[in-house]
Amino acid sequence: MNIIETSNLTKSYAGFFAVTELCLHIPKGKVYGFLGPNGAGKSTVMKMLLGLTRPTKGSFVIDGKRYPESRIEILKEIGSFIEAPSFYGNLTGKENLEIVQSILGLPASAVDEAMELTGITQYKDRPARKYSLGMKQRLGLASALLGRPPVLILDEPTNGLDPVGIHEIRTLVRSLPQKFDCTVLVSSHLLSEIELMADNIGILNHGHLLFEGTLNELRQMAALRGYPYDNLEDTFLAIINDDNMQRSGIK
Amino acid sequence: MNFLSLVCVEFKKIRRSKIILIMFIAAVILWIPSIVNARLNFKMDDVGISPENNYMIQGFLGMAWFMFPASMIVGIVLLNQTERGNRGIIKMLSLPVSTVKLCLAKFTVLLSLAAFQVLILTIMYYASAAITSRIQDYNFILPPLFVFKEAGLFFLAAIPMIAVFWLLSVFIQTPVFSIGTGFASIVPSVLMINTKIWFAYPMSYPLFIITYEYGKLADNMEASQPKLIPWIPVAAGITFVCIIISCLCFGQAERK
Amino acid sequence: MNFRSECRKIKRTGFLPAFIAGGFLAGAVPVLNMLFRSANYIKPDVNPVEVLFMANWQTMALLNILLVLEGACILYHTEYTDNAMQRMRTLPFNESGLFINKFLLVLMMCTILVAIEAAAIGFCCEHWFGGTVIHGAAGYMHICIEILESLGYSLLLVLPAALLSLFIASICKNMWVSLGIGVLCIFTATMLPADNFVLSLFPFAMPFQILAGTAPDTVYNFITACIAEIIIILLAEMLFLKARRSFE
Repeated sequence: MNIIETSNLTKSYAGFFAVTELCLHIPKGKVYGFLGPNGAGKSTVMKMLLGLTRPTKGSFVIDGKRYPESRIEILKEIGSFIEAPSFYGNLTGKENLEIVQSILGLPASAVDEAMELTGITQYKDRPARKYSLGMKQRLGLASALLGRPPVLILDEPTNGLDPVGIHEIRTLVRSLPQKFDCTVLVSSHLLSEIELMADNIGILNHGHLLFEGTLNELRQMAALRGYPYDNLEDTFLAIINDDNMQRSGIK
Repeated sequence: MNFLSLVCVEFKKIRRSKIILIMFIAAVILWIPSIVNARLNFKMDDVGISPENNYMIQGFLGMAWFMFPASMIVGIVLLNQTERGNRGIIKMLSLPVSTVKLCLAKFTVLLSLAAFQVLILTIMYYASAAITSRIQDYNFILPPLFVFKEAGLFFLAAIPMIAVFWLLSVFIQTPVFSIGTGFASIVPSVLMINTKIWFAYPMSYPLFIITYEYGKLADNMEASQPKLIPWIPVAAGITFVCIIISCLCFGQAERK
Repeated sequence: MNFRSECRKIKRTGFLPAFIAGGFLAGAVPVLNMLFRSANYIKPDVNPVEVLFMANWQTMALLNILLVLEGACILYHTEYTDNAMQRMRTLPFNESGLFINKFLLVLMMCTILVAIEAAAIGFCCEHWFGGTVIHGAAGYMHICIEILESLGYSLLLVLPAALLSLFIASICKNMWVSLGIGVLCIFTATMLPADNFVLSLFPFAMPFQILAGTAPDTVYNFITACIAEIIIILLAEMLFLKARRSFE
């Protein structure tokens, strides 16, 4: 069963198509890796799912609720983390989380749980603007995880973290479906990373969905089309290159 | 690095920062109420000032009392934000430039901005006076020599005030407080010019000078001649002290 | 969106101390003025409240408006600087609630501000006019009521300016732009001729009005206009939020 489905989702800015006719199918209880080079439209899609950007065309359904009719209902089910971490610089990490917690009407224990999960407990009383990049990233993640939402949308959650941090966050994301019984949509421009976290992947380039399916299906597809398939990084590069070549050929 | 090229660098830093735009808009907006209320200039019999003189001096009064100090405060904070916003100051401090020079260069830029605003004020005066003359069918345009003399006096009187604002912004790191303190310091200037110790309050200098000029132009008003002896030394002293302290403290907070 | 979390957001922004300090500064205006120039004001058979308002309210009102503008800018500055607004918009509540709660917060602060000013004016009445102009308990009672009425009126008239400041601050992501626009508006307000009723309805000009010594009809007109402005600005904000959502 798919918890998120988009149909012909399109976003254009004055003649430039950031996302074109996107049809995503994200199965419930899985980690869905959203892959694409910088500027492929990953963030735009995620922003549309959160109602931060209005689609030019198309619609989507999250957990049986259709956008834009049930925007608030949809937001109640999503924990999100988009692009640069967003927070109040003058407040401490804990206070930032408490604000989200009180808006969502969660018990106070939710804050401690989220801080524990992301490892910011020991920094909770420091103003967020004094956090290092990695800490800000963790704070953003903690605020997304608050209240165990059934759907998590994470945009490049490991950006700016050190190797140890990347590993921790990856392990955390990997474990979320079992732990919280939730679905995770996570984006990255590194296939090696998605490979370690995701059950399903979608590859986006220039706003077009080039592939959607499991990792095994990706390997099969690569073998069929003659792309290298023993190393997924090469597969990804070949797919993107091929698509770019075709695009410049059209032009 | 010599001082002149440092000043050029500082000018480059305020590119696209909207400071100049804000100052320009402030000087333009100032004259709009004057054009709208131009008829009031003919009702000044009790003061005994000619309509054209009244037109110019009222605009300059508005500038001296609120618009000029306010736009200087906003401009100074913006100037500091270009450094502190994305931590550009850290980069500057890691370069082989003395902070004293850097501070002086910034102050030079600031004075140029102030001069620019006074210049725009004067140009806009002529533009608006021309419009008003057309509307009211009366010549509101005064000889340039006189107007430029007033503008020059205004600018000179503003220098100590700018030095104080600059000192405030160097000391108060939080932009909100820096602006708040600045605004709070403008408001009492209208009360201060009526007291005997006005010369101890640099924020009231421009307003005092323009009020004095107003008094000179109006027959029925007493123009209290500013006593140059306590004023000039005090003003010079305040300016000097403010510049020295701000030069010594500039960038210190970032070096802790 | 609850009011409590709005209150929590202003921690360490200097919002609260700014209002308190501003209140004391504004309260100092009549006290200092009386201290230095009481001879100009103390005459037999004057209405002390009217005299004090006439002499000081222009300065006090200007401080109030500047403070309200700065407060509004701070409130939205914390939302926009570190991108917190984006997080807020991904939470399940209406953005207009955020605006209303911020308005309530400003309203609360204005009440504190006005209360400090009322205390200052009350002190001036007692200290300089007590015994000479004001006589007996009934006289004091009367003065107290008059002060409360005057400042209640002032509080109401400052609300459109507060709402408009918040409206501007919510539109501009850069605090300096909203502050700049606000300062220009305040300046324009100080330049408007006071005897023109229509022009003095400009939200930033209204707070300069004084209750004492004004005809009841005019007071009634101002109150009506003030309430109308409050409703109009609130509606404009709702419309703006709706429009912004559909254009982004």
